[in-house]
Amino acid sequence: MDYDLIIIGAGPAGYVSAIRAGQTGLKTLIIDEKYVGGMCLNWGCIPTKSIIESAKLYQRVKTADTFGVDGVDVDLLHFNWGKVKKKTNTSVRKLTKGIEYLWKKNGVEFIQGRASILSDHKVEVDQRILETKYILISTGSKPAVQSTFRAEKTIEIESLFGLETLPVKPIIYGRGSTAVELALFFKFIDIDPILVLTDTPILPIDDEFINMQVDKILKKEKIKVFPINEISVRDAVIVYQEKEYEYDAVVNSSLRMASLPPMPNEIELTDGFITVNEHLQTSIPNIYAVGDVNGKSFLAHSASVQGLAAIDHIHGKVEPVDFLLHPLNIYTEPEIASVGQTEEMLKAGNIEYRVSEFSLNANGKAIIEGNNNGLIRVLHETKYQQVLGVQIVANNATDMIAEASLLLEMEGTIYDLARSVHAHPTISEVFMEVGMIGSDTPVHN
Amino acid sequence: MKYMFKFPDIGEGLEEGKILEWYVEKGQSISSGDSLVKMETDKVVTDIPSPKSGIISARYGSVGETVHVGNVLVEIDIEGIVGEEAQSIASETVQKTSFEQVEEKGFGVVGTMEVAGDGAFLPASGEGKMENKTVSEAAATKPTGRKVLATPVARAMAKDLGFDINIITGTGPGGRVSKKDVESFRPSKVPAQAKALSNATPEHDIEIVPMSQIRKTIAKNMSRSKHNAVHMSVMDEVEVSDLVDMRAKLKLEYHDKGISISYLPFVIKAIALSLKHHRSLNAEIDVEAGNIIYKNYYNIGVAVDTENGLVVPVVKDVDKKSILELAIELNAISEKARDRKLTLDDMKDGTFTITSYGSIGGYFAVPVINYPQVAIFGIGKLAQKPIVQNNEIVIGNVMPISMSVDHRIVDGGEVARFLNEVLSYLHDPIKMLIL
Repeated sequence: MDYDLIIIGAGPAGYVSAIRAGQTGLKTLIIDEKYVGGMCLNWGCIPTKSIIESAKLYQRVKTADTFGVDGVDVDLLHFNWGKVKKKTNTSVRKLTKGIEYLWKKNGVEFIQGRASILSDHKVEVDQRILETKYILISTGSKPAVQSTFRAEKTIEIESLFGLETLPVKPIIYGRGSTAVELALFFKFIDIDPILVLTDTPILPIDDEFINMQVDKILKKEKIKVFPINEISVRDAVIVYQEKEYEYDAVVNSSLRMASLPPMPNEIELTDGFITVNEHLQTSIPNIYAVGDVNGKSFLAHSASVQGLAAIDHIHGKVEPVDFLLHPLNIYTEPEIASVGQTEEMLKAGNIEYRVSEFSLNANGKAIIEGNNNGLIRVLHETKYQQVLGVQIVANNATDMIAEASLLLEMEGTIYDLARSVHAHPTISEVFMEVGMIGSDTPVHN
Repeated sequence: MKYMFKFPDIGEGLEEGKILEWYVEKGQSISSGDSLVKMETDKVVTDIPSPKSGIISARYGSVGETVHVGNVLVEIDIEGIVGEEAQSIASETVQKTSFEQVEEKGFGVVGTMEVAGDGAFLPASGEGKMENKTVSEAAATKPTGRKVLATPVARAMAKDLGFDINIITGTGPGGRVSKKDVESFRPSKVPAQAKALSNATPEHDIEIVPMSQIRKTIAKNMSRSKHNAVHMSVMDEVEVSDLVDMRAKLKLEYHDKGISISYLPFVIKAIALSLKHHRSLNAEIDVEAGNIIYKNYYNIGVAVDTENGLVVPVVKDVDKKSILELAIELNAISEKARDRKLTLDDMKDGTFTITSYGSIGGYFAVPVINYPQVAIFGIGKLAQKPIVQNNEIVIGNVMPISMSVDHRIVDGGEVARFLNEVLSYLHDPIKMLIL
């Protein structure tokens, strides 16, 4: 055997698995045909959040005078796409360098090339056939091709960050959090986008509350949302409710499909994604599939956790991944975050539950920051009072949700939330407040 | 100030007791060490002494009522401290009790005396409503035994289901007990199954009688033994005519001195001598640590049949005592057992057990090991039987014996060798005197 483990795909599933595999003594090779860091680092999580951060700041600077900061001439403000790209690239480069360093440190080999799985123990790359005990597929996903609009108008997200200039009348085509985030990005830099929804609800998740929050945000920002079956397309215009709208580009943010490497037919698929069991093994047990490619989740952190679980499984540890504990973050304004079960899931599971909410309107820090638009919502079952789900709408919800993740991981109760002393003034105080509401001892309610 | 005296944990896994008699009345003045109440606990009837001097201001529980360890028995007004000061000290005292009591073992409740705290483990955040407990009360818990890591929900769930969370094995990080672990935990009790097997219904002529403490304890200990030990039994017969003669002579001689000499002290002696050569029969297994604990002391439990149930007082250090001394001690403990005056001390620390069911009847039996000991020796009914001696059939005095061992520690060969030695002493008791 040449290797203990060959990993195909160096995104957040593959690169993390490689580090852990190296740390735990597996002779490991990781192969990626393009980039270290995969979609997440190169054109997913990191760069999209980087440009959104710039766009949010651009908006916020406009409100400087309401905070008592004079001297900002709103008319002179300009969103410099060139500089934004540069800043984004700097962040990305810094992070990918870090990954390569960690691989090296842990004895992981890296080959840039296209890998094919020949059999359960053989992988081909660069016309070389390598033998391995285990294979881990982490080749990720790509958006489905859009065929509604002319192909030459299409901008794949991958190429968005290489554009010299941004479109001025963009259509965001697709569904899901990326589509929403990109629509908001354009809106924040004073470009009016049209969100052409390929299906409803906007987010492909079974959670009415979160979808309602997204709807609210899109309405508040006056973003045009057109369902695809209600539009017609002519050359450079789309028609919606008998009105014509011009467009100069279509950013493809369709729901994602698995990127599959060439592989044996024995590896079964479900709806185009690789079928895996609770230990992330494919139908060939020494071949694992983690991350987007198995279709269980499209979140980078979930991909990483799956990778770690697969390496653990190789070492004989059998703790199935609990996907409910992986938080979902949406980088809107305010941000939306959710972890655990949704109300729909609790209903479906016939679990007796209770919902407790606390608004940011009653939170000091949120008022100070001018970010009091939002709320925290906690779902707990009524027998042992275990918190089963937390949803937050707040300016920094994506960071705040970590507290809820810990609570869920530790099987905490509503009382634990109420009893944890939170510093004042902080936005996180809403956790304590909602805990008190849920345990019938409210203070600021 | 008020002192809340709680029913103490007097050891041996005791969980509850029944009030048999109150010695004090409300308003009565008492001194530290005075008996408060007579309780029937696991196998013993014992007096609970007061740890403080003062006046009884309240008494909880009436005769016949079952009290759980940790429940308040009496409130004592301690002289000299009154008013607000008393209140503040009182609450402090409740928290400190578990530590104070340890030092007060001179008061003579059997075993080490510890008042159980408000719970042997930290309360779950969700257990009861928040107003039930202050954080300081919760912190004043008993620092005894293994305390597991557990999630708040696992604690609440274990409490709800009546499990001691500390005995549940956690599968989470660092052995943390999670909800899943509590859900998959199966206590070793089998009440549900037992119930399912019962076909007695109120339509039949039946009588339902609550189990006595002794019966509950016997049931618990027997199940524990059968559940944990791997029983293997062996039976044999030994010709004991010499022993019969020797005992008859001694019996006559000591009869006038009021000492009754049975066969039991001889058997104890024979076993004590043999155990020294067969350590694994005087041992204990620690499965969790993967160890066998060999004991270099020889305390033999003697099963005594009483009208309330079986009790097993222990004769300590039998290897250091003469047959006469053993006989005297056996007389004393049998009497105590029948008068229900045994203390937990009398029944603690046995390393091997003998049951002489033959004195009532029966030749052979399959005795149940007194777990966690590893062996029990049974003496059947001594009888005259034809035996073959020098190729002739003659009348012999035959003692049948039955023995059970825990096969996890003791193998068949070792039991046979041990038995050979014991039986050779019983067959030829003079050997015991020269050794």
